[in-house]
Amino acid sequence: MKKYLLLLALATLSACNPGYHLTNRTSNRIGVDSLTATTDSSMANFLKPYRQGLDKSMNEVLARSTGRIEKGKPDAPLNDLLTDALLKQGSEKYGKPIDCSHLNYGGIRSNLPEGTITTGSIFEVMPFDNQLIVLTVTGAMLQELMNHFAQKNELVMGGLRAKIHNGAVQDVTFTNGRTLKPNETYTVLLSDYVANGGDDAGFLKNPVRNENINYLMRDALIDYFRQVGKTGQPINPVSDGRISIE
Amino acid sequence: MDVLASNRRQFLKFLGTAAVVGSVTPDVLAAVQQGPKTTSVTILHTNDVHSRLDPFPMDGSRNAGKGGVARRATLIQTIRQEQANVLLFDAGDIFQGTPYFNLYKGEPEILAMNRLGYDAGTLGNHDFDGGIDNMVTQFGKASFPILIANYDFKNTVMDGRTIPFKLFEKGGVRIGVFGLGIQPEGLIPRAAYKETKYLDPIEIGNDIAAKLRIDKKCDYVICLSHLGFKYTEPIVSDNVLAAKTRNIDLIIGGHTHTFLDAPVAVNNLDGQPVWINQVGFAGINLGRIDLAFDKGKAVSSTGKSVEVK
Repeated sequence: MKKYLLLLALATLSACNPGYHLTNRTSNRIGVDSLTATTDSSMANFLKPYRQGLDKSMNEVLARSTGRIEKGKPDAPLNDLLTDALLKQGSEKYGKPIDCSHLNYGGIRSNLPEGTITTGSIFEVMPFDNQLIVLTVTGAMLQELMNHFAQKNELVMGGLRAKIHNGAVQDVTFTNGRTLKPNETYTVLLSDYVANGGDDAGFLKNPVRNENINYLMRDALIDYFRQVGKTGQPINPVSDGRISIE
Repeated sequence: MDVLASNRRQFLKFLGTAAVVGSVTPDVLAAVQQGPKTTSVTILHTNDVHSRLDPFPMDGSRNAGKGGVARRATLIQTIRQEQANVLLFDAGDIFQGTPYFNLYKGEPEILAMNRLGYDAGTLGNHDFDGGIDNMVTQFGKASFPILIANYDFKNTVMDGRTIPFKLFEKGGVRIGVFGLGIQPEGLIPRAAYKETKYLDPIEIGNDIAAKLRIDKKCDYVICLSHLGFKYTEPIVSDNVLAAKTRNIDLIIGGHTHTFLDAPVAVNNLDGQPVWINQVGFAGINLGRIDLAFDKGKAVSSTGKSVEVK
């Protein structure tokens, strides 16, 4: 009787096409480095012509730095250097002073090395083909912009100092001496990505004015670093603590 | 001799033995328990490789010397030699992050993935960075399908260039794989994604997983996701997807560049533990998941009996 039941069960199972079932699962995170794997020569050969083309266009030495220039929260040398560089280059291109500059923290994609800074280094920091925009906004909208990024502790600004208190921005003082008043207007230099609502900045939809100055952020940085390199002075990575948390 | 000290030594000795036994025997035990009908399938995966074809430069930074497609090639070849049934997947953001992408628009990334033998990939937000026309050009060079179930490309040039899911049969085991992408609005420039429609990943994920499990009779269902591992905000992530769906066994995730030491298990609507894995970014790691299957009556991985339909 028992045997019969077993046979019946087997017949039923095969008739239903029972497939397979999972009996065990294990995982392994394999680090990819010189210890775990040698270089596959066929893949290396495939890459070679691409790398040669890349080296040709990316190896121009722009400037030198006495140390690694890193990004960080709430403030760090790279945050300050990039926003200052953009404000300087953007103002020149715009033809008049701009009150402040803004970078989205997530848009800074890499750090800069100690020693030589090449075109390739700037491409790694700013790989996106983002254009610089000059937004004219009310003080209230600028406050909203800064609060939006301060809430994530990702406020990266040039041309001003500010304090973050419970995710809100206070005590804003501009390098040019202005103070933040809700009904006055200010010019902000930022990427078209953010100006068009990227990084959840949809509240920037209706500024007083939106001017595309037809200058790629990356080109602005390359121009800046090339000029710095020409002075012969190396970059000394320091943060001036312009953004602080209370 | 002090009894306590002696006991302690004995205990340490025991611990040492246990550790060694633990590290070498599971495969042997598993083979004995599972018998000859066991089929092994190895899933290899990457996410957010971001055009990192070369290893990170040796500049003293945290990731110096790590990654690189030529080393990944060696690792994958070795595993393919050892294992009969291997599947290789990517969870999106293939593009953007090194000058390779700026100069070549994604061609070497895709051709390298062809050479590595990727079985499928899904789309990340940065895969739109060269514009939607560039996606057509570059993904057109891929010898693997792009799986995405919750993007409707109908009014764009990408229409018909992706598929929602694909079935794989490895050693008799039927594996269904589908892809889910992140909300483009507020993340991807509108000029890049154009009229791509984003559909609810939970609803679509549930429908596709059920279709794969029931209609397509899949033994195992994998989601390639670029939703992100977990958020503090109430937005959909792999953790939310796992908890709010049925029939998904494994989520291979991306977007948040999360380095998980091991997959995280989240119970689904049926109380079944869904595995979520993500291995950082830039090809620093290769994820490996080894699955063992037996023919016949289904028993879940927690040992609980499951009705066979």
